[in-house]
Amino acid sequence: MRKRRFTSLQRGGLLLILGILLLVTSNFVDELRSYQGAQVAVYLVAISSIILLTGYSGQISLGHGAIMAIGSYAAALAFSLWNISFEFAILFGMVVGTIAGFILGVAAARLSGPYLAGTTLALAVGLPTIADQFKVLGGEQGLNFDIGDAPGWIKRFEGSDFTQYRWFFWLMTLVALGVVWAITNLLQSSFGRNWRAVSNNPVAASLAGINVARAKVLAFTVSSALASLAGALFGILLGIVTPSAFPLTLSFTILTGAVLAGVGNLAGSIVGAVVLVAIPEFSGALSTHLGNSQKVTANLPGLVTSLLLIFVVLFRPEGLWPKKVWKRSRQLNN
Amino acid sequence: MIFIDTLLLGISSGAIYSLMALALVLVWRSTRIVNFAQASQAVLSTYIGYEITMRSHNYWVSLPLAILFGAILGSLIDFLFMRYLAKRAKSGPIAEIAPVIATLGLLGLLQSIIGLIWGNSFLQYPTPLSGKGFTFGSHTIPFSPQNLFIVLATAIVLLVFGGIFRFTDLGLALRAASFQPEIAQLAGIRVARIRNIGWAFAGAAGAVAGAVITPTSVLSPNSLDLLLVSGFIAAVMGGLDSLVGAVIGGLVLGVGFSFILQYVGSSVTFLAGFFILVIVLLIRPRGFFGHQVGRHA
Repeated sequence: MRKRRFTSLQRGGLLLILGILLLVTSNFVDELRSYQGAQVAVYLVAISSIILLTGYSGQISLGHGAIMAIGSYAAALAFSLWNISFEFAILFGMVVGTIAGFILGVAAARLSGPYLAGTTLALAVGLPTIADQFKVLGGEQGLNFDIGDAPGWIKRFEGSDFTQYRWFFWLMTLVALGVVWAITNLLQSSFGRNWRAVSNNPVAASLAGINVARAKVLAFTVSSALASLAGALFGILLGIVTPSAFPLTLSFTILTGAVLAGVGNLAGSIVGAVVLVAIPEFSGALSTHLGNSQKVTANLPGLVTSLLLIFVVLFRPEGLWPKKVWKRSRQLNN
Repeated sequence: MIFIDTLLLGISSGAIYSLMALALVLVWRSTRIVNFAQASQAVLSTYIGYEITMRSHNYWVSLPLAILFGAILGSLIDFLFMRYLAKRAKSGPIAEIAPVIATLGLLGLLQSIIGLIWGNSFLQYPTPLSGKGFTFGSHTIPFSPQNLFIVLATAIVLLVFGGIFRFTDLGLALRAASFQPEIAQLAGIRVARIRNIGWAFAGAAGAVAGAVITPTSVLSPNSLDLLLVSGFIAAVMGGLDSLVGAVIGGLVLGVGFSFILQYVGSSVTFLAGFFILVIVLLIRPRGFFGHQVGRHA
């Protein structure tokens, strides 16, 4: 009935091999590609947080950019103000983001569809303005989050020409692969099954003894933990955390990535992440071709993204790179 | 004195929120879609109005044409896009969020088209009305003729819509089609066409909002995004399916924001909006004028 599943250990091994291959590849690419690779990894984490939330537990969020901002600010605050090492700063960002996500999730579990979309949208609009309100958050200048070069042992191992962006690429790729591994395991555990049951048919799920509200809050909390992790990594990648790094469009961007990936398809999230990074690159090349006028350069990425989004919703609801078993499992569900 | 000034300004901005809320409610009632593209529809209509004003040098020519354009745009979006969407994307995890995603996609699409045509810089939409406040003796209040016009225009739109909904056959058909589409169809109402008219009305209401508020600030592709959020909060306060509720919700929100702005500070306004929204949804999910339990679509 189902395709053969790998065990958790086998998946971990496969991801590890993939990770090593990627890291080796990073030796042969230039700085820009390393940076973009790190960007893909950050988007991958952010997109998988949306896929977990929307694809598996049936909730929608237009405010995950705000949760990323929470994680990023908390981590940067811990790093720059309290001089905590960056690993623990990321962890602190995740803890704060998880708590925020839990509080939001308690409210979100009572809402659905457009109500939830609108509420999270209002959060995404409202939250960044706080940064101006408190001096400690640095206002428009933001907070420093420059974690510096790679630690000494990597440099000894890889040579002293190991650049900062390559170090970011290593760090973020490993984190992203770890996240993917953790989510796949989680989705195949009883939590994942409960979430799927809740999103497919809440009434049947509650009759089967699943606490629907608790499952939804849990999904929102886990998703927020991932989003804040993505936010903290994003802050490291930028080197500085400012309100303008988390505009409303960031929430839309990662949602777009999840839709392009196919919202129920975790494996597709890599496609979504690559496309998100490729769009500015592609539209940059296209606008150079079209004569580089300022109007075109500024608006082409948005145009391409929106067109892709509309195309996917209308013609490829299963995502750009469909899961092969999708059709079959849908028939089984009906 | 400050109290009354704040109140008057709140009513003026609340009137705009009401118009936006009205546009969202009109679409929601007939299609169960919260139209996030409404902001870009309104802003595109406003750009059309701006272009006409620049060429004709007359605001009063541009206003009705912008409203007409808004109506046509709303109708076209339903006809070319939304109707099609309802037939596709029916199953799988995307089905539930497809309307939200699709309207967000439209929002981005229209805004980038606007940017491609007019650029992203701020434009000034001129108006013949003065933006200077009325003076009583020695005291100048912040309420200007333009603000008065905003309130009057909103009132006229509300009266016209209210009249149509209450006293005409079209209004009856609109109400029936949103209340029980299948039964309305059986009773001989062409539901798809009526729904299209609902989209046109919503587009017109958004266009009015854009064309009367923009002269008090600036025009850019994103200039009405925040208005969309305020309109949504107002609409939810009113129950999302009640026209009267949308108007009252808008006014209450406008006055509330105005007082927060005056006495607390500008940076917390939208966060306050978020909390108002959450509190309303948690304690009274069907809003204060809604007919059915909200929260769940």
